[in-house]
Amino acid sequence: MQAKPTTLKVLDIVSLLLLAVAAYLALFYAPEEATMGQVQRVFYFHVATAWTGLLGFVAAGVAGILYLIRKEERWDIIEVAAVEISLVFFFITIVLGSIWARPVWNAWWTWDPRLTTAAITELVYIAYLMLRQGIEDPVKRARFGAIYTILGAISAPVTFFVIRLVRTIHPVIIGSGDPGAQGTFAMTAGMKVAFFFALFTFTVIFVDLFWNRILLGRLSARVEELKLSVLR
Amino acid sequence: MFFDEVPPDTSIYMVAGYVIFFVVTAIYVASLFIRASNLSRDLETLKEAEEEQAAPAVEVASPPRVAPKPRAARAKTSKARTAKTKQASRKTR
Amino acid sequence: MDEILPKKAPVTTMTKSPAQASRAGSSALQQYLRAVGAIAWKDLAAELRSRELFSAMLVFSLLVIIIFNFALELDIATRRSVTSGVLWVTFAFAGTLGLNRSLGIEREQGGLDGLMLAPVDRTAIYFGKAISNLAFMLGVEAVTLPVYSFLYGINLFHPGLLGVILLGSIGYTAVGTLLATMSVQTRTRDMLLPILLFPLVLPVLIAAVKASGGILAGDEAASVMSWVNVLIVYDVIFLAVAFMVFDFVVQE
Repeated sequence: MQAKPTTLKVLDIVSLLLLAVAAYLALFYAPEEATMGQVQRVFYFHVATAWTGLLGFVAAGVAGILYLIRKEERWDIIEVAAVEISLVFFFITIVLGSIWARPVWNAWWTWDPRLTTAAITELVYIAYLMLRQGIEDPVKRARFGAIYTILGAISAPVTFFVIRLVRTIHPVIIGSGDPGAQGTFAMTAGMKVAFFFALFTFTVIFVDLFWNRILLGRLSARVEELKLSVLR
Repeated sequence: MFFDEVPPDTSIYMVAGYVIFFVVTAIYVASLFIRASNLSRDLETLKEAEEEQAAPAVEVASPPRVAPKPRAARAKTSKARTAKTKQASRKTR
Repeated sequence: MDEILPKKAPVTTMTKSPAQASRAGSSALQQYLRAVGAIAWKDLAAELRSRELFSAMLVFSLLVIIIFNFALELDIATRRSVTSGVLWVTFAFAGTLGLNRSLGIEREQGGLDGLMLAPVDRTAIYFGKAISNLAFMLGVEAVTLPVYSFLYGINLFHPGLLGVILLGSIGYTAVGTLLATMSVQTRTRDMLLPILLFPLVLPVLIAAVKASGGILAGDEAASVMSWVNVLIVYDVIFLAVAFMVFDFVVQE
């Protein structure tokens, strides 16, 4: 059985500690924002989880391309891990964005281009997982997965620009005028500390979860391989 | 003295947000654990089954290493790599 | 099909791409284009004879328009403003039918394997299929438009609108053909295609609806052109990506 590397065990603990500190900074250390009140604090984790989701998104696209070029199973494992993590974190981003929007903009959903693109990317991820589920041959599954990841990776920025174009040409009448801002406020020094520390923490968390998920993927591949040979 | 606007009390939303974050993250991490332990269990079961298939009569202390299986059908560079990891992990046990 | 299955098939031409062809001389490029044409024509000819697919798509789109009429219960003014949206939703769903059927037939009749034995670059299969899918979709649109005009008294025969419909359909079938070729090889087949396709094709639908709506409302050319540009960019990008990636979709 694969033993979990010590480095990873250490990283697990470090991630937890960093998360605790980040939460403290966001919840207590950072000053309260003047116009929005306490809800603004979700912003720190909202952006940080979006960053994590974005890391996963890029990793998935790169892994997809590398799989098609190299045809090595490990890129497929990396790709699935990246998609899964991005799926979870974009979900959190969207929910936090919604929670933030409710008291500030008086609407649960504001069709903000970034969040809408994140939501559509979630749909792409879900489609990706369903695609994989429908293929039994592991090689074909990896190949098709890689292709769909690449298509998704290209379509996401295109979608973002199109939605932004919609918002600039037809500014949304509900809520305040500026379509680009997701609630603007100026960040004071205390806020900046919380903000950048959260970004750092979530980068570490991404690496930790990514590594863990990749180990899981390897284990899964081994099990599947054995199943095919034993239960012939 | 007057203070103009006190910021509105939106703490509920803040709490909701952070609770959701921690709950979702915890669920995901837990799912990683659960899946890993299920797969480990499957792996053990499959390994035993494999050993029994390879040497049904013999169940000696050191399990037979090479069970000749047609690897050609699934030949990929990574399979060789996982085969090596398989050997390595067997040795670490 | 005879012209793309010659008696002797030299191995070298198996992987000749248009790029290599143009270096070797135009004959290989002509071969490639002929293959594309043959594959497209195979489907179109079959369809002209049986008209199964076309009639199914047509009836479907007419039903969708009728359903919209009763579901939305709009007054004349509002109807004008939702026309482009209703049209494109209709086209998107009818398009899925066409894509599924077109690739499904290949799978049923083993046509995909036959096509792959042909000594021509695999992407010819993609372009041939995409062209026939596009033709089907355009055919359906060509009939849906007059019917919609007739039912709602809105004149839809605007050259700009027709251009937008063409560009949007190209983008849709470009991605759709690629994804349909994949989904038809999975367990869930038909059901999977819309799930795979719609998130990716959203930019096309958004831009097409905006452009169509702008044209119908008589907006100034500049704002409509920005949407048309989006369509053009999308079409180019995804045709190029499909071209690069199609080999992986059909290899065994």
